[in-house]
Amino acid sequence: MDTECDLLVIGGGMAGLVAGSIASMEGVSTIILRKGQSATAYSSGAVDIIGYLPGTSEPFSSPTEGLAVIAGVYPLHPYSIVGYNEDVETENIVSEIIRRAQDAITWLKINLENTITPLIGTFDSNIYPITVLGTTKPTCLIQKTMHSGTLQECEDSTLLFAGIRGYADFNPSIAAKTYLEDRIAIGKPPRKVGRCVIQITPFGKPFNLSSIEIARHLDHEKSIEEIAKQLKKQVDQLGASHVAIPPVLGLRNAVANKKILEELIEADVFELLGFPPSVPGLRLQIALEEIYRRSGGKLLVGHEAISYSKTGNKLNYVTARAPRRELRINAKAFILASGKFIGGGLSGDLSGMHESVFGLMTITGAYLLARDIIPSRMTNRVAISPEGQPVYSCGLSVDPFFRPVREDGVEWASNLFAAGSILAGYDYSTEKSGLGVAATSGYSAARSAIDFIKEVN
Amino acid sequence: MSESEFDVVIVGGGSTGTAVARDCALRGLKTLLLERDDIASATVGTCAGMISSGLKYRGEPDIMKMSSTEVVHLNRIARHIIMKNPIVVPLLDLNDVASDGEYIEAYSEHAEERDVPEMMFITPEATREIEPMIHPNIIAGVYYEEFFIDPFRLCLLQALDARKHGAKIKTYCEVIGFNIVRNEVQEVIFYNRITGTTEKVSAKIVVNAAGPWAHKIARICGAELDLRLNKGAHVILDRRVVNVGITSRAIDGRWIYLFPHENTTLLGTTALDTWEDPDTLVASFDEIEYLLKSIEIVIPSIREARIIRTMAGVRPLVPDWKVPEDKVTRGYQVVDHNNGLISFTGGKLVMCRHMAEAVTDLVCSKLGMHAICTTHKNPLPGNESDVDIESLSVEFGVAMHALERMRARRGTEILKILELTKDHPEWKTTICTCEPIIEAEMRYAIREEFPQTLNDLRRRLRLGTGPCQGTFCTYKAASILAEELDLEGDDFLVDILDFRAERWKGIRPSMRGEQLAQEELAQGMYSCVGNLDQSDVDYDLKPWEEGG
Repeated sequence: MDTECDLLVIGGGMAGLVAGSIASMEGVSTIILRKGQSATAYSSGAVDIIGYLPGTSEPFSSPTEGLAVIAGVYPLHPYSIVGYNEDVETENIVSEIIRRAQDAITWLKINLENTITPLIGTFDSNIYPITVLGTTKPTCLIQKTMHSGTLQECEDSTLLFAGIRGYADFNPSIAAKTYLEDRIAIGKPPRKVGRCVIQITPFGKPFNLSSIEIARHLDHEKSIEEIAKQLKKQVDQLGASHVAIPPVLGLRNAVANKKILEELIEADVFELLGFPPSVPGLRLQIALEEIYRRSGGKLLVGHEAISYSKTGNKLNYVTARAPRRELRINAKAFILASGKFIGGGLSGDLSGMHESVFGLMTITGAYLLARDIIPSRMTNRVAISPEGQPVYSCGLSVDPFFRPVREDGVEWASNLFAAGSILAGYDYSTEKSGLGVAATSGYSAARSAIDFIKEVN
Repeated sequence: MSESEFDVVIVGGGSTGTAVARDCALRGLKTLLLERDDIASATVGTCAGMISSGLKYRGEPDIMKMSSTEVVHLNRIARHIIMKNPIVVPLLDLNDVASDGEYIEAYSEHAEERDVPEMMFITPEATREIEPMIHPNIIAGVYYEEFFIDPFRLCLLQALDARKHGAKIKTYCEVIGFNIVRNEVQEVIFYNRITGTTEKVSAKIVVNAAGPWAHKIARICGAELDLRLNKGAHVILDRRVVNVGITSRAIDGRWIYLFPHENTTLLGTTALDTWEDPDTLVASFDEIEYLLKSIEIVIPSIREARIIRTMAGVRPLVPDWKVPEDKVTRGYQVVDHNNGLISFTGGKLVMCRHMAEAVTDLVCSKLGMHAICTTHKNPLPGNESDVDIESLSVEFGVAMHALERMRARRGTEILKILELTKDHPEWKTTICTCEPIIEAEMRYAIREEFPQTLNDLRRRLRLGTGPCQGTFCTYKAASILAEELDLEGDDFLVDILDFRAERWKGIRPSMRGEQLAQEELAQGMYSCVGNLDQSDVDYDLKPWEEGG
C-alpha cells in the first residue's frame, strides 16, 4: 500500500509531535509514525530546559542564563546548533540560541493552554518542584496541577504530604522527612510539614493501586469530593496551607480536580513529580497528540519504520510496518524523532552504536565516531553522579538545519532532518534538559523541513 | 559469663561461618559470629547455589561421597529452599562421548540415596525435545539431576537458627585485631561499622571462616595461612531462557553451565587466579565473551537473550599450585594454628555443614566438652511442614505466583507473613514486581532478619534481582526500610544510591542491547527526576567505584 504526504515524521513523542503540529499548522500535509509508547509518556511531565552545566553542581537560575553558558561551552549542543548557522552574526549567536528555545517553549505553552494539561513557568527562572522522594529538582515549566503556589516563599506555610493507602509509588512519611531536612538545611519555608494517608479504592481493594488506575478513577464525577472529605480533616488537624499529593489527579480532569479540591479543603493542592508509570507524562502525550490531530495531521500508531528508498541526495519514501500491513509513505521531507534507547531510535551492541532506521552515522558525546564503540566502554564507575553515563550522550550529529551528517560533514540527505533525544551531545538526565531539547529541536527541525518543502514546491 | 565472654567467636558470615555458628549454638557453646558486612555478602552471595554431587571431581571419590551425603542432609533440613536442577549435556562430537563414561559411573554410584535417576545417555531427538535451543547437530545428550539451594537463605537461616539457640550474630563488625597472651588468643577486637566504635570480646577459640580474607585474619592473629584465590564470574540473563540446565565444555575444555535459576538464567563460570581485593572485582569483558562464546557452541541463539548483569566472586581454594583451578581439590582443610585460632581453606557450598561439624568437633574437644552434632537432623526455620499455597492464595487474595515465590524463600513462615495482611491489607501490595515480593514480606524481613541496608534486604528477599534490576522497586523498598527503621531523609537517599551502585556494579560490564533502554529509564528516574546525581548526602564511594 502506498500513501503520500509532504512531511513524514518518524516518532511520536515530544519532538515528533511538536514538529508535526507546526508543519501541519502551516498547511503542510503531515504523517507521524509512532511505534509504541513514547519516552515522553514515561517522563515526569515537567518540561526541563536546562538545569545544570554537565559535570557541575551549581544549578542555573534560569534557562536564559543556562543557554548562554551552554552556547559558549558546547557549541555543538542541540540547543547551540541554531546559533552557529552562517547567517548568524557572531555577536548574535547567544541571543539567537536563546530566542529559538524561547520561541519553541512559547509555542508549546500557548498550544497546551487549552488542553488537559496547561503549563506554568517562565523562561526567566528555573523553579524547584518537589518529587515523590521529597527531593527537589530545577525545571522550567510544570503542569498547572503541579504548581505549589506560595509554598516555598510564604514564611508560615505548612505542607501536608498525602499518600494513598496501597499505592507504593509514594510514601508520604519519608518524603516529608527528606523535604523538611532539606528546607531546614537551606533555611527556607515551609518550616512545618505533616503527612497522612488517604484511601481511594478504584476496584474495591486497598492494595496494588497504580497511578493510572487512580487517575482514571478521579476522572469520574464526584470521586474527587470523596477525597476532599478525607483530606479536609487532615488539613484542619495540621493547619496545612498546602497539600502535596502524588501525580494522580486525573488524566482528563486534573485541572478541574485541583480546583475543586482546593475549594473544598481550603488549602493549595499540588502534584509531586513522580516516576513511571506517569500520569502527567501521559497527560502531556495525550495533549500533544490532540494539538497535532486538531492541526489536521495524521498519526499512525503501532507503525514502525523499517526501510527506505533514497536516490542520490534525496530520500524518496519510508516503509512502515504495522501488525497487519506494510505501508510505503512517499514524502518530500522527513523528520527522524525516534528517540534514544527507550524509544528505539538508537541501539548498541558489540558492533557499536547504531541508528535504527537509516543506519546514520552515530557519534559520542565527545563528538567521536561511535560506530565501533562498545556501549559498556562509554560508562562511568559511579552509577549516579553529575558526570552521568556518557553512553546517553551518543546519537546523531546534525548540521545547523538539523540534517544528520555523514563522516565528511555533509548531510546524509537533503530532505532528512532529526530532532529529540536521538541527537548527540547532551545527557538529559544530568543536564535536566530532556523535554526542552525535544521541543526546541522539534520546532527547529520543523522550520527547516517546512522551508525545504516550500522551496521544492 | 558476661555479655562479652564467649566460648567461640566465628569470623565470617558466609555459608561456612553461619554453619559453624549454628553447630556451636546447637551444642550449647556460647557463640558469637562477627561479619564485616552482611550475611552471605561475599563468596556465597556470588555463587549459583548448586549443591553439587561433586561430579566435576570424580577423581576424588571421598569428596563425591561426602557431597552426596550432604545433599541428603540438606534436603532433610532445608528442603523448602531447595529446587531440583535437571541438567542436559549436549554432545557435539565423539570425543565428548568418550570422556564422559567415567562421569556416568561416578555419578550413578550415589544417585539412589539422593533420590535421583542414574545418569543416562539420551538421543539427539530427546535432547532437543527437552531443550529445543540446543544445536541441531548434536550426536547425543546426557541427562542427570542436581539440586539448587538458595544460598542467601541458607546462610541467613543458619544464622537465625544459631541465634534462636543462643548465639549472637553481629553484622557490620569487622575484626581488626586480637589480644594474644602467651601465644593464646584472649580477645577479639572489632570495629562496629554501625555504631562507629571499636569493641572487644573475650574468646576461648576463634574460628576463621573469612573465606577469601582468611589469610588476612590469620595474619593479624600472628599466623600464616596460604590460600589460592580464584575469581569466578557469571553472566545473568533476564529470564529462564532454557527449560533445564545445560552443561558443556568451554572453548578451553573447562566445564561451564547455563542454569535456569530462580527467575533468571545464570551462565558461568570463569576461573582466574586473583590477587586483587575481592571487594573491587567485577566481571571483565573477556570473561563475558569467554562465557558467551563457549555456550554459543551448544546454544547458538544465546546472544538473542538480554543480559541484565554480571556477578563476580572469589573462591578461597586449598593452596594447590601448579595445577589448573579445576584440578585443585574441592575438599576443605581445617588448619589449627595452635594459638586458639582455627582456619578453613577450600570447601564447597554443599559441604558447609560438614565443615562446621568437623571444626565444632575440634572446638569441643579443645574445650573438653562432649556434645554431639545435630545439624543434619534439626530442620532449619520454615522447613517444619508443607505449605498449601493454593488455599492460601484463595484465603488471602494474593496471586499464586507471588505466594509460590514467597514459599520458596520462607516455607512455613509464609503463614506469619500473610497473617500481617489481616490488619494491613495494603501490605499485599507488590513492591518488587520482577520477583515478586509483597510489602508484608518486606516488613517481616526488616523486623525479623536484622537488615541494615537495602542491599541486605536484597539478600533476604531477592529484591531488585530480576529483569528491571531494581529500577522500579529501589525507591519503594527504600521508603519502607526507612519507615521501619525510622531513618532520616538523608539515610533514605543514601540507601537508594547504595543500592543503585551495587546493581550498577554488575550491570555496567555487560551493558548492551535492551539493557541500554532499561538503564536509560533508571537514569531518567533517579538522576533526571529524583535529582539524586546532585544530592549532597554523605555518600561513601564503594571500593569498586574508586580509582581511575
